[in-house]
Amino acid sequence: MSKRRVVITGMGTVNPLGHEVESTWSALLAGESGIGPIDIFDASTFPTTFAAQVKGFDLADHIADADRHADAGRHVTFCLAAARQAWDQSGIGDWAELDPARVGIYLGCGEGKLDFEKLSNLVCQAMVDGKVDTTRWLEMARKTMEVHEEVEQESNMVAAHVAAEFGVCGPAFNVLTACAASTQAIGEATRQVRHGQVDAVITGGAHSMINASGLTGFNRLTALSTRNDEIATSSRPFDLTRDGFVLGEGSSVLIIEDYEQATRRGATILAEIIGYGASADAYRITDQDPEGDGAATAMRAALADAGLSPEQIDYVSAHGTSTKQNDQVETLAVKAAFGEFAHKVPISSVKSMLGHLIAAAGATELITCILALRDQILPPTAHYKVPDPDCDLDYIPNEPRKADVEYVMSNSMGFGGQNNTLIITHCR
Amino acid sequence: MPDRRVAVTGLGVISSAGVGIEPFWQSLVAGEPTVGAIGLFDARCYPSTVAGEVRDFSARKFVPKDYRKAVKVMARDIELAVGVADQAFRDAGIVTRGMEGEMAVNPKRLGCNIGAGLINCELDELAIAAESSMKDGQFDIKAWGRDGINNLTPLWLLKYLPNMLSCHVTIIHGCEGPSNCITCGDASSHLSVGESASYVTDDIVDVVIAGGAESKVNPLGLLRQVLMNRLSGGADSRACKPFDAGHDGTVLGEGGGTLILENMEHAVDRGARIYAEVIGFGAACDPAGIDVTSPNVGNMHLAIANAMNDAGISPADVDLIVAHGTGVASEDDMEAQAWADALGNRAGQAPAFAVTGGVGSLFAGAGGVELAAAAMALHTQTVPATCNFTGPAAGCTLDLAGQSRQCDMAAAISCAFTVGGQSAAVVLKRVES
Repeated sequence: MSKRRVVITGMGTVNPLGHEVESTWSALLAGESGIGPIDIFDASTFPTTFAAQVKGFDLADHIADADRHADAGRHVTFCLAAARQAWDQSGIGDWAELDPARVGIYLGCGEGKLDFEKLSNLVCQAMVDGKVDTTRWLEMARKTMEVHEEVEQESNMVAAHVAAEFGVCGPAFNVLTACAASTQAIGEATRQVRHGQVDAVITGGAHSMINASGLTGFNRLTALSTRNDEIATSSRPFDLTRDGFVLGEGSSVLIIEDYEQATRRGATILAEIIGYGASADAYRITDQDPEGDGAATAMRAALADAGLSPEQIDYVSAHGTSTKQNDQVETLAVKAAFGEFAHKVPISSVKSMLGHLIAAAGATELITCILALRDQILPPTAHYKVPDPDCDLDYIPNEPRKADVEYVMSNSMGFGGQNNTLIITHCR
Repeated sequence: MPDRRVAVTGLGVISSAGVGIEPFWQSLVAGEPTVGAIGLFDARCYPSTVAGEVRDFSARKFVPKDYRKAVKVMARDIELAVGVADQAFRDAGIVTRGMEGEMAVNPKRLGCNIGAGLINCELDELAIAAESSMKDGQFDIKAWGRDGINNLTPLWLLKYLPNMLSCHVTIIHGCEGPSNCITCGDASSHLSVGESASYVTDDIVDVVIAGGAESKVNPLGLLRQVLMNRLSGGADSRACKPFDAGHDGTVLGEGGGTLILENMEHAVDRGARIYAEVIGFGAACDPAGIDVTSPNVGNMHLAIANAMNDAGISPADVDLIVAHGTGVASEDDMEAQAWADALGNRAGQAPAFAVTGGVGSLFAGAGGVELAAAAMALHTQTVPATCNFTGPAAGCTLDLAGQSRQCDMAAAISCAFTVGGQSAAVVLKRVES
C-alpha cells in the first residue's frame, strides 16, 4: 500500500518575538532579539540573569473561554493560543465532515512549573537532624499544595487542555525528548497520517523552563550563556565567542493532514512534509557524540525517507544552540551527511534571536522553514561576528538572504542524544 | 510487499514481586499480592501506607562496570528503567553493547522507546542544598542564586529529565536507531509499544525495546495521589481490589515493563523464543480529561475499537481481556462500561484479568507489565488471577477470577488509560512454537 502524503494546513506560534506567525517572521528577518532580563521571577543573583521570555501574553486574547484553563501552566496557555491560530488557519473546524475521532494530538511539551520556592521552603522547614521529616513536611504540604497545580506538572496535561479546546478524541501522545521533542512529535505524527491511523493531527510543542528550577539546572550544567552585560546579543550560534544557549519559552503548533483530505475540503496547503529521520547518539548523557555521527544518521534517514540527495536541499535550519559543543558537532554532522555540498548549503539558527525554546524549539523552527519556502527568503544567524575555525560553513550571517528554496531541512538534537530531522517542500 | 510482522521476543519486568518476568508471573498466577508497608520513606502519616515497592534495588547490578559511576545521576525511575531494559534484552537472548560477547544486532537498526512520567525531585537532596539559603525561616531566592545552587551536583537536572530513561538505555546497550520518550501517564507504555511496532513494520528497525517505567513511591508522588483522592484506605497487602465489590482506591507501585519487539523474520532466523505477535494498536483521548478531579478513562472504548480495527479482528475474536483496573471505584466502573461498549456481550464472555491488585499502580510502567503479562498469558495459555478479586462491583460484567485459569486463547487485547484522559490499546496474538 502506498503511503499517504502529509501536508501542513495551519500554523501558530507564541514565542519571545511575537504572539503569532507574521510578526514573528518580520522580527526574525529584521534580526531582532527576543532576549532580555528575567522578570518572571527574581533571577538577579543567578549566574545567568536573562532569557528570551514571552512578553505581554494573555490567553484571553486568543481563545474564547480562557477561564476554563485557569489552572493551566504557562506553557499550556502558550500551546492553546498557538493551536488556536493553527486550527483556525487550517479551517478544519468548519469542515462539515470533520470526525473528531480521526483527529489526533501529538505534542512534544515540557513539564509544568515546579513551584521551586514553595517546595524549598517546605523541605527546609521540615528538616530535622539533616533530613526531611516526612510527617512535618506532609502536614505543611497538605495545607499549601493544591491538586490542580500538582497534576498540571505532568506533561500529558497539555494534550488534555488541547483536546478540551478543540473537542477532538483521536490518539493523543506527548513526548519529551528534551530539545528534540517537538520535531520528533511532528515526525511521528506524520507517520501516523501516512499510515492512516488518523487523518489530521494537532502537533508541535510547548515549554517554559524559565523558572527557578530550570535556571538552576541549566546553570549547574554550565550550558547557559552568562553574558549578563551583553544580553541582547548573548545567543550567537556558530560564532567563536559563543558561550552557551539562552533559555527561551513558547509554543508552536501545526495542523497536519492527509493530502487527499486537505484537497477535498479545499484547504490552503502551506507545505508538505516529505522526510523524517530519528536516531540516538548512544554516546554519553552529558556530551554529544563528538563526531556528530548520531545527528548525521538522522539527517541521512530523513533524506532517504524523502528520496532526496543532499545536493537538493536548499536550506538547513540548524539546531544551533550557541553552545561550544553543539555548534561544532552539528557542523561536523552536516559535513558527514552532506559531504562536499556541506560548504554550499546555507544554514542558519534562529535561536540567535528566539533563544532556545527547548521542547518547543523544533516546531517553532519548522514554522520558519515553512515561511522561508513561502517567501523564498532565508532567516539569518544573528549576532555572528567572529568566525570559528571549527564552524566553517555558510551560516547566513546577520542578514536574511533571498534564495530559490524548494527543499528545506530542520534539525533538532536533544540533551541525552536523541536526534530528529524533518524535510519539507512546496506541495505540488 | 507484505507488511512485516512484529514478534515479542523478550520480556523485562521489575515490580514488587522482584526482578524479572518469572517472579512477577508466578505471583500473578498464584494470586498473591506483593504490596506491603512503604519502606522507602516514612509514610506512616499518609492516609495510604502501603505500596508495591521494589526491595533492595540498585541499577548498579544491571550496568557494565565502567558505567556504574553514572548510576549516581539516575533518579529511581531511571534506575528501574535501566534494570528493566537489561532484563528484557537478556530474556530475548540478544547480546547488546553492554554485555559480554559480540553485539548481535545492527546498532543503527536497534530502537529504544521507553515511557516515563514526571520524575519527582528528592526532598532530602533539595533540603540539604537549600538550607543555607534560608533567611529568617524563609527560602531566599537571592541567596540561592548567588551561592545555594552550588550545593547541588552539577548534573542535578539530568537526574530528572524523563528522556534519560531512554538515553541511559541507548548508551548502555548501543541503541542508535530511533529513540523516543512518551510521557502520557498510564497510557505511555501502550503508546510506546504501538509506535515501536510501526518502526518494525516500516522497516526502520530490526529490534526495538518498548514499554515504560516509573516510581511515584516518594513523598511528593504519594501526596499528589492523596490530593486526587485516588488511594485506597486499606493498610494491608490486599488494599487494592480492581473491579471487586470492595474496591476503594489504588495503591502505589513502582517498576516497569519492557517488551523486545522484533521483525518476525529476524526473530525466526536467530531461533528466538516468540511469546506473541503484536497485531493491532489503537489510541484515543477524551476532551473531558481536562477535569482531573473527575474519573476519566480517555474514551478507551474508541482505543479498543481502533486497535481491533487495526488488527482486523472483531469482538468475537477476543479471547482475553487485560484490563487496566486501577482499583479506584469510579475508574473501574467507567472502565468496565468501556469494555462493554467496545466488545458488547463478548466483554463478559472472554476471560479477563488485571495486575494492579498484585503490584500496585506503575503509571508509565503499568502498560509494560500489563503487556508482559498478556504475552505470558498467551504463551502459557493461562489467565492469571486478578489479585484480591472476590466478587464483582455493581455493573462490572468482566469475567474476572481470584484464581488463575487455563484457557485456549489466540488473541488478547490490553488497554490502559491515564489521568488527563488519554488511552491506548494493543492486540497480541499467540504464536505457536
